[in-house]
Amino acid sequence: MRRDDTMGIILANNDRIPPITDIRANLALPIAGRYRIIDFVISCMAGAGITNIGVATESNYSSLMDHIKSGKPWDLDRKNWGLNILPPNVEKMTSGTIKGDIDMLSGISDFLQRSPQTYVILSLGNSIYNVDFAELIEKHIESQADITVLYKDMKGNDERELSRFTMLELADDNRVVDIEVKPYYPKTTMASMDIYVMEKALLESIIDECSARGDRDFVKDALVKKMSGLMIYGYEYTGYTDKIDTLASYYRNNMNFLNKEIREDLFTRKCQIYTKTKDQSPTKYGDSAVVKNSFVSDGCTIEGTVINCILSRGVKVAKGAVIENSIIMQDSVIEEDVELSHVVFDKEVHITKGRKLIGQDSYPLAISKGKKI
Amino acid sequence: MISKNCVAMILAGGQGSRLGALTKNVAKPAVPFGGKYRIIDFPLSNCVHSGIDTVGVLTQYQPLELNRYIGNGSPWDLDRSHGGAYVLPPYQSAKAGEWYKGTANAIYQNLGFLEGFNPENVLILSGDHIYKMHYGEMLKAHNESDAAVTIAVMPVPWEEASRFGIMNVDENGTITEFEEKPAEPKSNLASMGIYIFKYDVLKKYLEADERDPKSSNDFGKNIIPTMLENGEKMVSFRFEGYWKDVGTIQSLWEANMDLVDEPPKFDLADRKWRIYSRNMALAPHYVGTNAKITNSTVTEGCFIDGEINHSVIFGGVELGEGSVVNNSVIMPGAKIGKNVVVEKAVIGVNAVIGDGAKVGVNSSDDNKYASKLCSHDLVLIEGGAEVKVGEEIFKGSMVEA
Repeated sequence: MRRDDTMGIILANNDRIPPITDIRANLALPIAGRYRIIDFVISCMAGAGITNIGVATESNYSSLMDHIKSGKPWDLDRKNWGLNILPPNVEKMTSGTIKGDIDMLSGISDFLQRSPQTYVILSLGNSIYNVDFAELIEKHIESQADITVLYKDMKGNDERELSRFTMLELADDNRVVDIEVKPYYPKTTMASMDIYVMEKALLESIIDECSARGDRDFVKDALVKKMSGLMIYGYEYTGYTDKIDTLASYYRNNMNFLNKEIREDLFTRKCQIYTKTKDQSPTKYGDSAVVKNSFVSDGCTIEGTVINCILSRGVKVAKGAVIENSIIMQDSVIEEDVELSHVVFDKEVHITKGRKLIGQDSYPLAISKGKKI
Repeated sequence: MISKNCVAMILAGGQGSRLGALTKNVAKPAVPFGGKYRIIDFPLSNCVHSGIDTVGVLTQYQPLELNRYIGNGSPWDLDRSHGGAYVLPPYQSAKAGEWYKGTANAIYQNLGFLEGFNPENVLILSGDHIYKMHYGEMLKAHNESDAAVTIAVMPVPWEEASRFGIMNVDENGTITEFEEKPAEPKSNLASMGIYIFKYDVLKKYLEADERDPKSSNDFGKNIIPTMLENGEKMVSFRFEGYWKDVGTIQSLWEANMDLVDEPPKFDLADRKWRIYSRNMALAPHYVGTNAKITNSTVTEGCFIDGEINHSVIFGGVELGEGSVVNNSVIMPGAKIGKNVVVEKAVIGVNAVIGDGAKVGVNSSDDNKYASKLCSHDLVLIEGGAEVKVGEEIFKGSMVEA
């Protein structure tokens, strides 16, 4: 069903994972073989019936534009609204360059203004999940909160892992009583998923107020300072989610797709996850192929050994090559007798015959796009 | 008024009765092929790569799935403002209304559609052949020779020539004689059922054919012979390459096997000539720790934990631990349990094979599923059919749902 009263705003933020974000925004990072991180948030919004979505970009947005194009894979190529890439608006920025999410939001104030929806789902992060946004909006409206923030209880995680998140302290009725952005010693295990629901008018007034004062950070300058005056409530998500902001989390979250429960949670929980299609032919296994515990996209040609790997589309693995515990992006070529372990290859990496590249579980070896070794 | 140089018309109305249970509920052009395609993807993709952006698809037999599959044509880039893909079923008008009586009559009934595009040429295609062909080159030859009709031909082995419509041509490629399935062929150039007509000539002959009550309204039987009699300029266009009529279960199975032979007889991986299809939007396939896959193709959404050799596996297929699949075609969504053996079989869409079942392993003289349509020991399991736990299906069986 269409949810005409709600619009979606997705901010392509600035979390950098060198070298794989050198050429693209974080949200455009390939994940799980054929997807990009942004596919999860767009598919969930589309699945909730939201038909007006703006993706505010900062820099390096050509790969996002190329990926999203008209929005067709999500059925968002519409006459009214649809999926819109919103390039940065330099004139609206406090100092001529983008220095935070308030700058990005104020750059799209025209888009917000002319959108007729009452509510807005604001996504500031780069997490993967399969959230029922329709239910989230319902709960927000029911609870009469000013702002509802989606969170996940990360109990059981290492303290250092929790420090990557914005942590929430919640009262018994789930009202947010404290917010700490990436605290070194987190007081709670409730991690914000960087998804906020509010009335569009409230978002507009926050943006206006913050940019008038030269504030730049939506969470630190708006939410933290307004916590007592606004009714901010948490809403718990119980499915699998994680944020992709470091090479280690990028590696781990790709590898997690080899886990059946996590894979099913992310792909079949609520929404179907869509992505741009490339019309590749099916993957071809040769007579010497050995593939175990791997996630393989279309268009690959496999003659060698692939164990515990995520292969994007069009990867070629020659005879005698052995790849273990690795993430290989689109159109990379692995020649004969190459040995790879714990590597992350960007697109079109070419490893010539007999080379050996070994990374570690805690420190995978990442190679940037188009490198020939 | 829009004026198109060439409009394509794909004949997709046939039942394909020799495909048995595969075409019980879908028209032949909608039958899955090659891991992620349907047969009609081939002529549609060829059209787009050849620069033809207006395509009529003539449907009649079991059209629902085919209509839905084609939709607005967007998978083939045929959702156009000026042209695009059109599904053309038979319709009623004030004066008459009838089913398509034959291939020529199907086009005749849609002259009104063609008129709207004011085409110079009309390309007639069949919706049941597997091949990659640049129709633009054929169109260029057609324009250069100024022929009334250009017919694509390909050399076939002499011993098989009597199964085809054979074109006898002179040294310039001009067609001098056409023989339908000749006992003693004079040439080995078979008609591929691909014609480019000048539109005004086509219209004239279709209208005359319609007035002849004795005609069976068929291109091969009526239109082409009449044009030859009348001395129209008819030229052959020679095609060399892979072309396969997948009209029988055996030939459909063979054409799939051609993709996984080493080297493949037909290559779908050519990025310059991608075959487009309506995408199932599934996740990459997962290969489990007990899997062993060789000389096969596997596509999105599969969960494979068994052994696969020399087979074509479509999207969303599940194969359990300890199962072995050899020389088979497993269509979308089929679920194969544990410790199953499948040999030389075509398993239909969403079929279920229970744990420990044996399919196509042994022969039996007392086979309740025996079918003449399943020649050469092939087994066909209809889409949605269920083979029970531990059940044995003998060679040459057709199991219906």
